[in-house]
Amino acid sequence: MSEARAQSFRFNTGAATTHAILIVGALIVLLPFYTMISLSLKAPHEIMQQTGGFIGAQEAFRDDYCVKLGNAAENCMVNPIIYNYSTAFEKAPLVRYLLNGLIVTVSIFVIQVLVALPCAYALAKLRFWGREAVFALVLFCLLIPVHAIALPLYIMLAKAGLTNTYAALIIPWTISVFGIFLMRQFFMTVPDDLIDAARMDGMTEFAIIWRVMLPTAIPALMAFGIFSVVAHWNDYFWPRIVITGNRDLFTPPLGLREFKGDADGDNFGPMMATACIIVTPLIVCFLLAQRRFIEGITLSGMK
Amino acid sequence: MQSRAHLWFIGPAMALMFIVLLIPILIAVGLSLTDYSLGNQGAEFVGLENYERIFTRSTYEKMFVATFRYVFVVVPLTVGLGLGAALLIHSLGRFGDLYKTIYFLPVMAALIAMAIVWEFAFHPTIGIINSTLEKGCGTFLEAWPWYAKGCERTFPLWLNDRDYAIWTVSFIGVWQGFGFNMVLYLAGLTSIPPQLYDAAEMDGATRGWDRFRLVTWPLLGPTTVFVVTISFIRSFQVFDMVEAFYPQGGGPSKSVFVMMFAIYEKGIQQNLMGIGAAITVVFLAFVMVLTVIQRWLVERRTHYV
Repeated sequence: MSEARAQSFRFNTGAATTHAILIVGALIVLLPFYTMISLSLKAPHEIMQQTGGFIGAQEAFRDDYCVKLGNAAENCMVNPIIYNYSTAFEKAPLVRYLLNGLIVTVSIFVIQVLVALPCAYALAKLRFWGREAVFALVLFCLLIPVHAIALPLYIMLAKAGLTNTYAALIIPWTISVFGIFLMRQFFMTVPDDLIDAARMDGMTEFAIIWRVMLPTAIPALMAFGIFSVVAHWNDYFWPRIVITGNRDLFTPPLGLREFKGDADGDNFGPMMATACIIVTPLIVCFLLAQRRFIEGITLSGMK
Repeated sequence: MQSRAHLWFIGPAMALMFIVLLIPILIAVGLSLTDYSLGNQGAEFVGLENYERIFTRSTYEKMFVATFRYVFVVVPLTVGLGLGAALLIHSLGRFGDLYKTIYFLPVMAALIAMAIVWEFAFHPTIGIINSTLEKGCGTFLEAWPWYAKGCERTFPLWLNDRDYAIWTVSFIGVWQGFGFNMVLYLAGLTSIPPQLYDAAEMDGATRGWDRFRLVTWPLLGPTTVFVVTISFIRSFQVFDMVEAFYPQGGGPSKSVFVMMFAIYEKGIQQNLMGIGAAITVVFLAFVMVLTVIQRWLVERRTHYV
């Protein structure tokens, strides 16, 4: 009996050690999220003096910029949270940036699907001369990271007069060879009978793609969509290169970076508020649909 | 009718593959042999001069040093921590889900935003890291010479310290990336048939380490090959943090002058397209060779796994 107790004790210490290690890891992982949220709630002097704990005292403080504009000091007292978040929206057209982010990520995903789906269908289900060569080309293109060829792409876009346009943000991502590859593998598993039946009913090949194949591919497409949207919402490198001066075209990461560029001590709060606003949409979606997100993001690793 | 349909289906994809992926590579190779810059008329053919510069000048030596330091810190640590976290979480069963969620958060969050927060945390005077370290002064921690030195004078400047910058940036890279590898390893672990552990135990592998060595590790082989390759490719492409921390020049004494930043600085900031294109070609060569090695390893392994 004592042996059994020793066994269960050992098991418990084992589990406790595991939890202890994982909790330390979790604290380190969460540290910047904690800092980000905390700073977005606090007043400038609390940030500089590192006082106020997590949410700060939430006392109204004097907004010096407001005083400088000639207002009476008593009219310029603001609550830190309201100050930080309202400054985030006032100092830069943050709503516009968020909208740009949405436009760009959605356009990229829609065009990727429009281009990749028919190609994947042809590669999986049609027999034609050169099919193997096309597939080999797809496999070769999988080797190329688009970020790495940014320079020639930038030159091509500049020559076409397209820098500082939505087109520049979208065009390099319209072709997803990974999407083609993924959809092709998926379509291979769709039974031929389904397609033959559709042909008997007189459907054109075009109609088959959108009315027969697309509905069967919804789960795979969702995973791919998450993969694509997360990558392009968070992308900083490419917008940085093709959007040089035009603030109307800034995506959220560029907006945040601009904020950092001219942030003095007073602006840490609003800057962190901006960071929170940019990070939140994806994090909330992730927490709501974790399994789908993990599936989507790690899609490239599934075999 | 079917005989023509495929042209419409593969046509757009083929055209875009050529325009967006293949032609730019040819352009990069071509430009790397010239001194082209955008807006200037004409460009001189300079042969391999750009490449010669990359492999001889000290600036580019720093570029390779920074890139390889980053890559060779981040790859082993993200793979190791990813595997470690996955093994621990897997052993907890469904109680591990919360940790999985937390560890995956950095993968979802825009790196540029989190980099700015880390920069604040590493701030020498108002950052949480150094202020926490100062609280440990006067305790047993001072027995550690490095710590005592920090208490006596100051703790490192981290991101603005020539000796610490690249390691601090690498730390943030590890923080951001290991959750991704953890999830891939978790998928690999769930696909190991439990009977194999029973069989190993019957053959005398009772210790946890033996079971790991004889069953888990070999069966995770294909996952590991993939995880290592994708970690290499991702860490070679580090850029966001470097540009956010050091908009000009690549950090203290160019100690964080990584390749993607070098391409950006030479090509976009300084409009020296020739040298930028040459770095691009070298970069592509690295990444493609790595991927080809991975594919070869996977194909070789599938024979007996």
